[in-house]
Amino acid sequence: MKKVDIGTGIGLIALSVWLFLYVGQYKPKEIYIYGPDFFPRILAVVMAFLSVCMIINALRGKSLPMGERIDPRGFGRLLISIGICLGYLYLIKTLGFASATFIFLFVLMTLLRQKGLPKRIFSALLTAILAWAIMRYFLIIPLPEGLLL
Amino acid sequence: MPYDLLLEAFAKVIFNPINLFFVFIGVVAGIIVGALPGLTATMGVALLIPFTFGLDPVHGLIMLVGLFSGGIYGGSISAILIGVPGTPSAAATVLDGFVMGKKGLAGKAIGMATIASFVGGTTGALVMTFCSPQLAKIALKFGPPEFFALAFFGLGIIITISGKSILKGLISGIFGLMITMIGFDPLSGVPRLTFGSTELLGGITFIPALIGLFGYSQVFQSIEKILTLPTVRSEVKNVLPSFQEVMSVLKTMIKSAFIGTFIGAVPGTGCDVAAFVSYGEARRSSKNPEKFGTGILEGVAAPEAGNNGATGGAMIPMLTLGVPGDAVTAVLMGALTIHGFQPGPLLFRDHPEIVYPVFAGMILAQFVMLLVGLGGVKLFASLINIDRRILTPIIFFLCVVGSYVMRFSFFDVGVSLVIGIIAYFMNYYGFPGSPILLALILGPMVEQNLRRSLLISHGDPMIFFTRPISAAFIIVGVLIIITSYYRIKRAMEREEKALKMEK
Repeated sequence: MKKVDIGTGIGLIALSVWLFLYVGQYKPKEIYIYGPDFFPRILAVVMAFLSVCMIINALRGKSLPMGERIDPRGFGRLLISIGICLGYLYLIKTLGFASATFIFLFVLMTLLRQKGLPKRIFSALLTAILAWAIMRYFLIIPLPEGLLL
Repeated sequence: MPYDLLLEAFAKVIFNPINLFFVFIGVVAGIIVGALPGLTATMGVALLIPFTFGLDPVHGLIMLVGLFSGGIYGGSISAILIGVPGTPSAAATVLDGFVMGKKGLAGKAIGMATIASFVGGTTGALVMTFCSPQLAKIALKFGPPEFFALAFFGLGIIITISGKSILKGLISGIFGLMITMIGFDPLSGVPRLTFGSTELLGGITFIPALIGLFGYSQVFQSIEKILTLPTVRSEVKNVLPSFQEVMSVLKTMIKSAFIGTFIGAVPGTGCDVAAFVSYGEARRSSKNPEKFGTGILEGVAAPEAGNNGATGGAMIPMLTLGVPGDAVTAVLMGALTIHGFQPGPLLFRDHPEIVYPVFAGMILAQFVMLLVGLGGVKLFASLINIDRRILTPIIFFLCVVGSYVMRFSFFDVGVSLVIGIIAYFMNYYGFPGSPILLALILGPMVEQNLRRSLLISHGDPMIFFTRPISAAFIIVGVLIIITSYYRIKRAMEREEKALKMEK
């Protein structure tokens, strides 16, 4: 994990420097000795120090060995599922909560290769209707409404 | 100790069927979440919190403590049936429980785990009920320096929950503290790091962050690995342990329950440590230590009484001092805050109508857990067979809804998704998520009390060392950090040696 640690360390140092400089605009008011910039600046300094330690650790070969690696195919599937989720958020506003939830669950189950079309339809439909009913009538949570349910 | 308030709360909770219903729902949901490997009690509580907003605070909170108790117990079911602990706290139960399962004694092992969890959970809940008000009375004398020292002490826990790399745990913790800087400054009211966004004025709210850290990150991992994960099947055939068998391990259960409660009350230890220490002590004091690990009831009873004892113990510092005992109580602390109650000594003075029903609910949850656990062994065992390709999309959906319902904001869903993606990569690269959670809880407390204390002392940091309680917390905090550091270092060295030996 040497490269990851060095890369992350450099990124975090950059974040710390940016934070330290950026919060300088929050000047303390007269009654406060320590203003809104005080604590963020402490954090920026500590983060930069820890990041330097992590980089030194990595350069000395003391990084933890890389455990499980990201499966590229699985990662692709994950990106698609996040895309489906974003589509779901759009559909909730246009179709309505229950209909969009059914579509979201059905598409996601299909992506995850759940066998049997009737099983997918039934599971997605049951979950969507149950969730809608519980939130609407039991928890009394206002849900987004659209063209359908 | 206001016994009248306690009795009134018990009467209110126990004799009201609605309260019983919510405890029941919480316990059942907890057992389900706990029994499914990959879903933790922390995640279960995090996902349930948003759905408690519409409820009466007492109903919501007793449902959550029910889920906490049920979740810790539920982990034993998969530990016994498939050798995979449903929650980290059930890891010690695998040692004897799974061997019993392989011998065809899974039903008996689950029965014993249920009874031991009941004994442990009840002991922990009773200790919590009677000790917490006394501790809260002392804590009422705290001022800003003491609260800062307490929060510092709490942040010291980051060392113990950092996993394999303390450095990365600390970085996660500081990153979490940085997140708490977003929004209005608590003292001057100046908006910080909001970049002109009105959505960010209130800061990154707790629930979306929580769901991102513990919900989305697990769902994302599950989606990534789903086609390569092996399918597991479970089966329960036989009966519960006999009365004689239960009596033969009663002493171990009671001892483990107290050990678990004590360990749980020490911030940063948690239910998993309690289970292993209880198991180790039962083995050390046994007449037949060589039988441990071969599938004996005592080897199931000790860790289960220990980890459920720790549930009540972990609630003590959370309720009385506002410092969570472990990750689940950190989430529960967030739940209290969201319902408008600030955990800490003032909670006992200002909101006894909340505190005492929570105590009663926790005790009631143990009885519900016993009945539901013994009655539904076969049903819960069959849960493990639910197809992950159906379950994962449903949990994904719950994460979306959970992050939306707090403020009915799609912005929060986006924040939660982004935090989930960050947490997913953090898991891979060895950065633990729990320190971020702890920092989100304790961050505002640290900053406000640090600045208030320095204001009182005109900038002199010695204020933290000249006041005895504050100095004591800082010294104990530093001692915990040092001892934990060496304990983790030794454990890692042992692991390295073992790996080398294997090679």
